[in-house]
Amino acid sequence: MKLGIIILQIGFIHLFLFLGAAIKNFIPVPVPASMIGLLLLLIALLLKIVKLEWIEQGGNWLLAELLLFFIPSAVGIVNYDEIFSLQGAESVLLIGVSTFIVMGATAFTAEKMYNRKHRETE
Amino acid sequence: MKTIFFIGITYLLYRLAKKIYKRWPLPFLHPLLISPLALILLIAAIHVPADQYLASTKWISHMLGVSTVAFAIPIYKHIHIVKKHLGNIIISITTGTLVAILSSFALSLSMRLNPELVISILPRSITTPIAIEVSKEIGGLPALTTVFVICTGIFGSIIGPYAIKWMSITSPIARGLALGMGAHGVGTNKAREYGEQEATFSTLGMIFAAGITVFWGNSLIPLMMKMVHTL
Repeated sequence: MKLGIIILQIGFIHLFLFLGAAIKNFIPVPVPASMIGLLLLLIALLLKIVKLEWIEQGGNWLLAELLLFFIPSAVGIVNYDEIFSLQGAESVLLIGVSTFIVMGATAFTAEKMYNRKHRETE
Repeated sequence: MKTIFFIGITYLLYRLAKKIYKRWPLPFLHPLLISPLALILLIAAIHVPADQYLASTKWISHMLGVSTVAFAIPIYKHIHIVKKHLGNIIISITTGTLVAILSSFALSLSMRLNPELVISILPRSITTPIAIEVSKEIGGLPALTTVFVICTGIFGSIIGPYAIKWMSITSPIARGLALGMGAHGVGTNKAREYGEQEATFSTLGMIFAAGITVFWGNSLIPLMMKMVHTL
């Protein structure tokens, strides 16, 4: 029963993905179809055209099992020799360094803005 | 028949990897490392070409697009938080995405990586479904981008807590946005250990990072690509 609801709701969420793809077909916007679908679904929810109950169980299942959907693309790596070279190892090092800088910069900006807003309201 | 077999075996290995990681939550036992590795070994052992496996499991990858649409649900549920902190979220994540693209670019040039690697590395700090799309649009290799995204997530979830501690970051918004920006879904998983608020901001940070990177993918990145090709 629960599985049936999840499958039905995932089918319904597909509608927005197809709508996104259709829009991309008519207007050549350089935005992924899934991103357009996300915006359309959000607007539909905010305008109460779609009720949260219609999609919540299916949507939550998709988000909870997100890691599963990455696996085949990760297996696809065997088709590329690049990653198993010195350059591949260097790329991994680069990612570590860059990610640290990114997190530091993001946390710093958000904390500064939060503190400033907090001081103003006090 | 093959389709059912490969989808089934992928799902089973994924479940098993998740169980192992729950029992021993060590970074190198992350499900996104051990399940693809197990599958690569398995298809090599039974002499199945990778392309055949990929063709059989395209329905699994297809679900990435649908999952992206489903991210409307957490935004909708937390719309009051989005409205209240919209300025902070946009400025912090714009900073984060710029730093991600520029630092990756500068580092990869200094390491003299080949252009294919450079292009595939640029969209790496965003969630895989969108990163794959951005990578395709800017001429990268989606499979390489996927691996870089996974590396970023795993590194970020390890490094993130240290960055938060060393910089004495105390607000839930800064902690959450940093984890979501730096390590997308894997970071959001980590953010749950801090609390509900951190997890919410992390989810929002991840979604905004994807959206803003799509924008850079159409403006800043093509310019940088021209630079790479003229060098």
